Amino acid sequence: MSGVWAVFAREMRLAGRSKTEWMMPPFFFVIVITLFGLGAEANDPRLADFAPAMLWVAALLSTLLTLERLFRGDLEDGTLEQVCLSRTPLVLATAVKLLAHWVLSGLPLVALSAPLALGLGMRSDAIGVLVLSLALGSPCISLVGGFVAALTVGLPRGGLLLPVLVLPLITPVVVFGAGAVRSVQDGLDPQAPLYFLSAILALCVTLVPWAATAAIRNAFD
Amino acid sequence: MWTWFHRLASPPSFYRLAERLAPWLGLGAVVLLAFGWFYGLVYAPADYQQKDAFRIIYVHVPAAAVSLSLYSAMAIAGVIVVIWRIKLAECVVVSIAPVGASMTAIALVTGMLWGKPMWGAYWVWDARLTSELVLLFLYLGVIGLHEAFDDARAAARACSLLAIVGSINVPIVKFSVEWWNSLHQGSTIFKMGKASISPDMALPLYAALAGTFLFCAYAVLRRIQNELLWRERGTSWAKEHLSAVTVH
Amino acid sequence: MTKRQKRMVAVAGLILGLGVAAALGFTAFRKNMMYFYTPTDLVGHSLPANAKVRVGGLVVTGSVQRGDDLDVAFTLADCEHSVPVRYHGILPDLFREGQGIVATGRIDAQGDFVADEVLAKHDENYMPPELQEALTTADGKHSCAPFKSVMGS
Repeated sequence: MSGVWAVFAREMRLAGRSKTEWMMPPFFFVIVITLFGLGAEANDPRLADFAPAMLWVAALLSTLLTLERLFRGDLEDGTLEQVCLSRTPLVLATAVKLLAHWVLSGLPLVALSAPLALGLGMRSDAIGVLVLSLALGSPCISLVGGFVAALTVGLPRGGLLLPVLVLPLITPVVVFGAGAVRSVQDGLDPQAPLYFLSAILALCVTLVPWAATAAIRNAFD
Repeated sequence: MWTWFHRLASPPSFYRLAERLAPWLGLGAVVLLAFGWFYGLVYAPADYQQKDAFRIIYVHVPAAAVSLSLYSAMAIAGVIVVIWRIKLAECVVVSIAPVGASMTAIALVTGMLWGKPMWGAYWVWDARLTSELVLLFLYLGVIGLHEAFDDARAAARACSLLAIVGSINVPIVKFSVEWWNSLHQGSTIFKMGKASISPDMALPLYAALAGTFLFCAYAVLRRIQNELLWRERGTSWAKEHLSAVTVH
Repeated sequence: MTKRQKRMVAVAGLILGLGVAAALGFTAFRKNMMYFYTPTDLVGHSLPANAKVRVGGLVVTGSVQRGDDLDVAFTLADCEHSVPVRYHGILPDLFREGQGIVATGRIDAQGDFVADEVLAKHDENYMPPELQEALTTADGKHSCAPFKSVMGS
C-alpha cells in the first residue's frame, strides 16, 4: 500500500513543481468556451441549446492536452521501468497514476463547467446535471485516454495519433453525457443516460487499468 | 493435437496452406457474388413497399455483416496475441483491419444512399448508424497505430490491445436496433425465428452474403501471406519461395 | 499478501466492478432510452410542454389531410393510442397511409404534435407486391410491433 501512496504523492509533487503544465487544461477550457460565446451573437439564446455539446467537447479536448505527457516523462527518466520492477503491482500503480491525472486535470474542469454554463445562459437545473455528467464522464476520459497514452508512449509521433485513437473510444461517453444535459433542457428525464454513464464509468474503472498495464509492458518488450 | 496446431501456426506451413486455399476462396466468391448480384438485381421481384430501391440490400447487408464479423475475428485474434503471443495471430490482426475498414465504409455509404429515398435523410444520429461510424473509426485507429510503430511485433500487440478494448462496440452495433427504438429497421435474417423476407429475395441475399464472406476471407488470407513473407524475409523458407517466383 | 491472495483480490475486484457496471446498465435500459417515443408514451405520460421529442408510429389509414402549400395533417398510432400530427414540409417518398414514420417536433397547446421533420421507418420485411396483397388483413398492412412503448402504459 505504501508503494501505491508513494506513486500518488509523487504525481502531486511533480504537478506542484510544473504548475504551468497543469494550469493549461483549465485555461484552455475557459478560453475555448469564451471564444464560442464571442464568436456567436452576443447573448444569443440559442447558445444555451448548444452549451452541453460545447462544454463536453471542450472538456474532452482540454483533457487530451495533458495526456501525451502522462507516461512519456516517466518513460524517459526511467521511473516507469522502476515501477514495473517494484513490488507494487503494476496495475495498482497504473490505476493510481490515472486517478492522479483525473484529480489534476479532470476535477478542475468539472468545477469550472458550472460558472461557464451560467455564462452561456443555461438553466440552473441543467447546470446541475451538466456538473454531474462531467463528474461521471471525465474519469472515463482520463482512464481511456491513459490507456491510449500507454499504447503510444514510445512512439515518435504519438502526440498526433493519441487524439485520433481516443476520440472514437470516448464517443459513447460524450453521447450520453451531453445527451443527459440536453434531455433536461428539453424537459425530459435525464436518468437513463446518467445511469448509462455510471455503467461506463464502472466498466472503465474495472477494466482499463488492466489494459493500460498490458500496454505499458508492451512498451518495454 | 497441439503439435498439429503448432505446425499449422508456423509461418511456412500456414503460408503453403493459404496458397492452396486462397484460389478456391476467390473462385467461390466470384461465383457466389456473380450469381447473387445478378439474380438479386435482375430476377428478384421488387419489394411491396420500397420497390426497386430495396435491391441495395444485396450490397449493404453483406458489407455490414462482414464488417462486424471481421472486427470480432480481429479482437479474438488480439486476445490470442496478448495471451499466447502467436506470430500468426499477430499477422491476422493487422491483416484484417484494412479489409474491415473498407467493408464498414461500404456499409455506411450504401446505407446513406438507401436512407435518402426511403427515410428521407442521408444520415440520422440514431444508435445503429452512430455505432457503425464508431466502428469505422476504430478500424482506422488500428491501422494508424500499426503504421506508427517501427517494430512489427510491438505494433501488432498494441493493435491487439486497441482491438480488444474497442470490441465493446460490437454488441452495441449488433443489438442497437433491438435495445433502442431506432429509425434503422430490425434484423431481417440474423435473428431468432423465421427470416422475414420472401424466398425469391432471400436466395440471392444469402448468396451475396456468402460471396462477400468468401471474398473477405480471400483478401485477408492474401494479406496474411504478404505479412508473413515480409516478416520472415530473412529466413530460408521465404527466400526459397521468393526466388522460386521472382523472374530475374 | 501471497501471490494467490493477490490473485483472489484481483478477481474479486473484477467481478465486483463488472457486476456494478451490469446493474447500472440494466437500470439504464429500464429507464427510457431511445431514438423516439410512441403515441402511448405521449398520451399516458404528461410530457412537459414544449419538450422537443421524436415520436414514432403508424400513419392511420384515412387520416391524411393535405392542405395548401405542403401543409399536411394526419394521425399517428401505435398498438394502443393515437396522436394528431401537423407538419409543413416535404414528406419522404415512402410516406403513405399505414406506413411507419418517425416525426420530430413539439406538442402544442391543443395537444397536437407539431412536427419539424418526418422520416419514414420502413420495416424489416421484404416481399413482392403480389404476395403482400394476399397477406393484407382488414385492419392494416403493417405491424405496430416495432413501436414499443418505452415507459409502459
